[in-house]
Amino acid sequence: MTDFDTTNPPRRDDLVQRIELMEAMIAEGRCTTMRYGWIFLMWGLLYYAAIGWQMYLPAGKFAWPVLMVLGVVIIQIWRWRALRSGRNHESPRSRSIGAVWGTVGCAFFLYMGAAAASHHIQSPAVNATVMFFLGLAHAISAVILRWRVQGAVAAIWFAGGMAMFFAPYPASLIIFLVASFFGMVLFGLYTMMLERQRAASLVQHHA
Amino acid sequence: MPEVLPELDPVVHGKLRLALLSLLVGVGEADFTWLRDKTGSTDGNLGAQMLKLEEAGYVAMQKRFSGRKPQTLYRMTPAGRKALATYVASLKRLLNGAL
Repeated sequence: MTDFDTTNPPRRDDLVQRIELMEAMIAEGRCTTMRYGWIFLMWGLLYYAAIGWQMYLPAGKFAWPVLMVLGVVIIQIWRWRALRSGRNHESPRSRSIGAVWGTVGCAFFLYMGAAAASHHIQSPAVNATVMFFLGLAHAISAVILRWRVQGAVAAIWFAGGMAMFFAPYPASLIIFLVASFFGMVLFGLYTMMLERQRAASLVQHHA
Repeated sequence: MPEVLPELDPVVHGKLRLALLSLLVGVGEADFTWLRDKTGSTDGNLGAQMLKLEEAGYVAMQKRFSGRKPQTLYRMTPAGRKALATYVASLKRLLNGAL
C-alpha cells in the first residue's frame, strides 16, 4: 500500500478506489457473525442427527443431551485453539454477539434440562419456546450487525415457533426440520460462502 | 472565483491507514493480529502505520494479556473519528465536481 503523494493532485480513480476500500473494510468489520458460519451448520446437522438417533437408534433418550453437549465441547475446543493461536479477536460488537449466543445457549440448556426432568419435553409449547430462543438470538445478532439475511432467519424461527402451537405431531417435527434446514444448515453454508468470497476478494485487493 | 480544492489529510489518506481506520470505525477496537489478518499487511508495516495513527492522536493503544499471551489492542479516538469524517466529506466534495 502506498502513501499519499502530496506533490500531485489526487486523481479521480484513486479517490474512488479509496471509497471502495473504506466500504470493504467497514463491511469486513461489521460482519462478525460470518466467521462463525460453520457453527450454524454444525448445530443444524446436530439437530438432524439428534432427531435421527432419537427415532431410529437405541437409547434414544440420550440423543439430545449427548449431541448438544458434543456441540458445546467442539465449540469450546475451537475457542481454546483460537485463544492459543492469538486469533481470538474481540471487539465490542463480537463480544455483544458472543454474549447473546452464550446466554441464549445457557438458557436453552437449563430450559431443556428442566423440561426433560419434568417430562414436559414433548409439549408443543416447549418446542415452540426453543424455536423462539433461536429466533431471538438471530434477531439480536441481525440488529447488532444490521444484517437483513440474519433477520430473515430470525423470522423463519419465529414463524416456526408460532406454527408449533397449531401443528400436531408429526407436523411439528416437520416444521422443526424445515426451520433447522433454512435457519441453521443453509444459513451456515451461506455465511461460509460469503466468508470465503470475502477472503478471496481481500487477497485480490492486496495483491 | 475558482473553487479551492479541499485538502485530504495525508495521515488518513495512506491506503493501509485508511483501511485500518475504516476497520476500527466498524468494530470500535481491535487487536494487532486481527488488524494484520484483515489488511493482509506485515507485522512491520502494520506497526509503523499504527504508530503514525497513534502519533496523530487518531488511535489509542493498550497492551494487556489474554490468558498468558500479550495482546496489543487499538481503539479509535474521537479525534480519529472526526478526522475520518472530515476525510470522507473532503472526498465527496472532490468527487462531486471539484475534480
